[in-house]
Amino acid sequence: MGGNKIKRRIGLTLLNVVFIILCFVGMIPILYALILSVSDGNNALSSSLSLLPKKFTLHNYSAIFIEEPFVLWLKNSVILSIGTCVLAMGTSVVAAYSFSRHRYKGRKSILKLLLLLNAFPQILSMFAIFRLFKECNMLNSRVGLVIIYAGSMCIFSIWNMKGYFDTIPIEIEEASKIDGASDMKLLRKVILPLARPAIIVTAVMVLIFVWNEYLFATTFMLNDKSYTLAGGLYQLQANDYSRSWPLFSAAAILVSIPILIVFFCIQKYMVSGLTAGGVKG
Amino acid sequence: MRLKRKLVPWIYSLPAMVLIGAIIVFPILYTGFISVTNMNLFHWSNYRIIGLENYERALLKVDSGFLKAIGTTIMWTILNMILQIAIAYFIALGLNVKGLRLSRLYKTLLMFPWAMPAYVSILLWRVGIYNTEFGLLNKILTTLGIHKVNYLSENVPAFISCMVLNLWMALPFMIMMIDGALQSVDRSYYESAKLDGAGFLAQNIYITIPALKPILAPAVIMTTFTTFKQFDIVYLLTMQKGSLTGSTLQTIITYAQQNAFVSNNYGLSSAVSIVIFVFIIVFSLFTNRGIKEEV
Amino acid sequence: MKKRVKQSISLLLCVLLVLGALTGCGSKDTKDTSKETKETTKEEAKESSTPKEPVSIKVWHDGNEAIMKTIETRVNDTLKDENITVTFEKKAGITDQMKLYGNDEANGPDMYMAAHDSLGTFAEMGILAPITDIIDTSVMADQLPMTVDAGKYKDTQYMLPIYFETLLFMYNKDLWQGEVPTTTDALYDYMVANTNADAGTYAVVNQHSTAYNVAPVINGFGGYIIDKDAKPGLNEQATKDAITYNQKFAKLEADGDYNTVTTLFNEGKAAAIIGGPWLIDGINKAGIKLGVKSLSSFTLPNGNALAPYSGVQGVGVMKYAAASKKDAIAKVLTVLAGPEVGIDLAKTANCAPANQKSYDDTTVAANEMIVAIKDTASTALPMPNIPQMSVMWGPTESLLAAVNKSGEDVNKAADKYQKEALKAISDMQ
Repeated sequence: MGGNKIKRRIGLTLLNVVFIILCFVGMIPILYALILSVSDGNNALSSSLSLLPKKFTLHNYSAIFIEEPFVLWLKNSVILSIGTCVLAMGTSVVAAYSFSRHRYKGRKSILKLLLLLNAFPQILSMFAIFRLFKECNMLNSRVGLVIIYAGSMCIFSIWNMKGYFDTIPIEIEEASKIDGASDMKLLRKVILPLARPAIIVTAVMVLIFVWNEYLFATTFMLNDKSYTLAGGLYQLQANDYSRSWPLFSAAAILVSIPILIVFFCIQKYMVSGLTAGGVKG
Repeated sequence: MRLKRKLVPWIYSLPAMVLIGAIIVFPILYTGFISVTNMNLFHWSNYRIIGLENYERALLKVDSGFLKAIGTTIMWTILNMILQIAIAYFIALGLNVKGLRLSRLYKTLLMFPWAMPAYVSILLWRVGIYNTEFGLLNKILTTLGIHKVNYLSENVPAFISCMVLNLWMALPFMIMMIDGALQSVDRSYYESAKLDGAGFLAQNIYITIPALKPILAPAVIMTTFTTFKQFDIVYLLTMQKGSLTGSTLQTIITYAQQNAFVSNNYGLSSAVSIVIFVFIIVFSLFTNRGIKEEV
Repeated sequence: MKKRVKQSISLLLCVLLVLGALTGCGSKDTKDTSKETKETTKEEAKESSTPKEPVSIKVWHDGNEAIMKTIETRVNDTLKDENITVTFEKKAGITDQMKLYGNDEANGPDMYMAAHDSLGTFAEMGILAPITDIIDTSVMADQLPMTVDAGKYKDTQYMLPIYFETLLFMYNKDLWQGEVPTTTDALYDYMVANTNADAGTYAVVNQHSTAYNVAPVINGFGGYIIDKDAKPGLNEQATKDAITYNQKFAKLEADGDYNTVTTLFNEGKAAAIIGGPWLIDGINKAGIKLGVKSLSSFTLPNGNALAPYSGVQGVGVMKYAAASKKDAIAKVLTVLAGPEVGIDLAKTANCAPANQKSYDDTTVAANEMIVAIKDTASTALPMPNIPQMSVMWGPTESLLAAVNKSGEDVNKAADKYQKEALKAISDMQ
C-alpha cells in the first residue's frame, strides 16, 4: 500500500508539472498582451526578447477607465449577456426537453434540419437581418440585439442540451410521473438539477458568444454609448493606423477578466446531480 | 385531450422555433430572394428580379480555385477536429484525476484564450507570435542563432500557423465540454473495472469513451460546422487588406469573400452564398451517419 | 389539471412575448407616417419662424479622433450663434456601414468624412447629394485644384476637400549618414550598404507589398493600377517593370507589415521610413529627430520623379440630409471650406490643408512636413475614385505579396492577378 501511495504522489506531481507547463504555454500570448499593457509609449512592440516591460506603468488601464466609456460598455455587455442567456436558455431548454422526451412525427427531420440551417455562415445573414430589423424599427435597440444573439445560439443550445437530456434515464421521470407531476414540474425538479453541467456549459457558451461578439454589436447599435465592450474595443482599435497597442492590450485584458471570474465561480456547480444523487442508469 | 397531447411538444418548441425562424431561416430565404435580383452598386435601390442569371455566374466560380479551396477546407476541418478532440480529451482526463487540488485554477487559466474576443487574439498572434521581426518564435530563433523564418508567406507553414491558432482558440471549449461530460460518467463503473483488472487504456476504451459519445456528439458536430465555416483566422492572419502575407491559402468562405463579396454585387454574392450553402449540406451528408445515430 | 392550464397559459404568454417582439413590424406603418408628419411640421416651423431652432448634424468618419475633434470644435465654435451643432462619430469599416445606413434617414448620418477613393462607390449607390446643390462653387474657389478634382465623380462635385495626405520620405536625423540621395538608385546603394536584416537594422523600411506604398514607383514608371476607363493595368509592361524595381528594395525593407515597419523606425532600428503624417504621434513619443523629404525629390532611373497617390479627406452629404437640413449643412460646409479649419488641422495634426489660404499662416508655412506634402502635390496623382478601384486593392496587393514574399515570377503573377482583377470588375455589374 505504501509503495502505491508514493507512486500516486509522484504521478500527481508530474501531472501538476504538466499542467503548469501547459497553462504557461497557453498563456504566452496573453502574457504578451499583459506586458504590452503595462508598457509605456506606443512602440511597446519591441525587437528585443524580454519578459519585463522597460518602463512599468498602469497608465493604460486608468486611461481606459477615464477616457473611454468603459463602465458604460461593461454595463451594456452585462445587460445583453444576461438578456440573451435568459431568452436563449429559456426557449431552448424547453425545446431541447421536448425534442428529447416526446416522440412525434417530424421530430428527427426537424433536428436534422436545424443542424443544416446552422451551417449557413452568419456573416452572410447580416444584410438580411438588417433589412428585417429596419422594417421592424428594431435597429439601435438592445431587445433587437438580444433577439439576434439568442436566435444565433438557439440551435446550438438545443442540440447541446438535448444530447445530455437523452442520457438521463427515463425511469427517473416515470417514477415522478406516476406521482402526478406535470411536464414543467418534471423539467424543473428532475431534469434541470440532473443536467446542470450541460446547462451551465451551454449558458457559458452563450454568455461568451455575446461577450465577444462585435460585428453585430457595432453594426446594429449606432451610438458609442450603447456599444458592448468587444464592440467598443473594435470600434476604437480595429484600424492598424490608429491603434495604440498598449491601450488595446489593456482593454483586451479587461474585457476577458469578467468572463474568467464567471468561469472560476461556476466550477463548483459543474458537478452533475446525476452522480451526486447516486442514481444509476 | 389527445389533440392536446399531440400539440404539447410543438408548443414547447415554438418559442425557440420563432427565434430561429427570424434569425436563421429568414436570412437564408432573403438571401435566396436577393440572389435572383440584380442588386448591385449600380442598381442599389432600383433592383429587379432577373431570374437565375446570377446562378449561372456563380456556378462559373466553381473552378479549380474553388475546388482547391474545398479541399483545403475539408483538410482543415478534419485535422483540426481530430487534434482538438484528442488533445482536449487528455487534458480533461488529467483535470479529473482525483487529488489534483489546483484543477479549478488550471481550468480557469486554460479557459483564458476563450475569454478574449477573436479578433484580439488573432491580432496578438499575428504581431506577438508570428511577426518576422518581433514575433516570439523568431525572437527565440535569433537568440539560438538561427535565421528568421516567415511563417505566413507560404501555404504549408501558413496552414500550420492558422491551425495552431485555431487549436489555441477552440480547445478551451472542447476541454470544457469533455470535462462537463466526464462528470456524468458513473464512478462505480471504474471501480468494478479496476477489480476486473482493466488498465488505463481499457478503462478509456470500454467505459469513458462510450459513455461520453452520446453527450459529446452534438457538441462535436456543432464544432465541426464552426471549424468548416471558420473565416476570421485565415482572413485576419494572412489576407487582411494592407498586410497580405503572401500565402494563397483559401477556405471556401475566404474564397467566396474574395471572389464575390468584394465586388459589392449583392445579387451575385447571394447566389454564391446559396451555392456554398448547398455544398455545406452535401458535406454534411458525409457526417450524416453520426447525426443519424444521435437523433 | 388546473395547474397544467396555468402552465400552458404562462407558456403561451412567453410565446406571445417573443412573437410580439418580432412582429413589432405590424405597427410600423402608423409609426412611420406619424414621424413624417412630425417632420413636415417641423420644417414648416423652421421656415416661418425667425428664432433659430437647434439643428444637429451627425458626421460619420473612420479616421483619427483627434483630427475629427479639431474640426468639430472649430465648426461648432463658429456656428454657435446659428444654433448648429456638429458631432463626429467614429464608425469602423465605414464603407460597409454606409451601404447599410446610407439611405436610412432615421438612423444614418447627415454627412460622412473619409478619403476620396470610396466616393465613386457611394455616388453610384445614389446616396450622396452633389455638393453644388447645397453651396455655390465659389465657396471652393480657394481649394487646391487637385483636391477639388479628387472630389469629383463623373463631372459632379460630391465631396468638399478638407485636407490631403501623400507619402513622404521620413528619416531619423541621428541615424541617417550624409545627405539624403536624390535618385532612387543612389538610395538603393545606400540601403545595400546600411542594412543588416539578421541584426534587425535597416536603412529604409516601407510597406513594400501595400498598393498605396508601391504606387509612387508604379506611377513614376508610367504604369497604373487602374485607368480612368476602369481598365486594370497590372500586366502592363511599365507596371511590371515598376514591381520588379520595387522588389529589390523590398528585400531590404523587412516584412513590410505596418506594425513592423513603424516599430522598427520608432525604435531606431530603421533610419528612414516611407510613411505619412499619421505616423507623427508615435515618432514624437519615441523622441526621434525627424527629417522629412518629398517623394517627388527622388528621381527614378527613367528620369521621372516618384509619383505617390494623394488621398484627399473630405466630406460628402447624404441625399436625405441635403433635402431636410439644407441651410444648416450649407453653413457647415462653408466653415469647413474656410482656411481656419485647415490651419487648426495643420497645427494639431500636421495635416496639409486643402485650402490654399491656410498656407499664408506663418506656422503652417514653417511646418516642414506640410510643406513637403504640398510640394508633392505637384507630382502626386489623386487615388482613382471610380468604384472599380475598390476591387483593385485585393489583386494588386496579392500580386505584390506574391512577388515580394513568395518569390513568384513577375510576368506569371501579373497575368494571373490581372485576370482576377478583370473578373472582379465584371462581377460588379
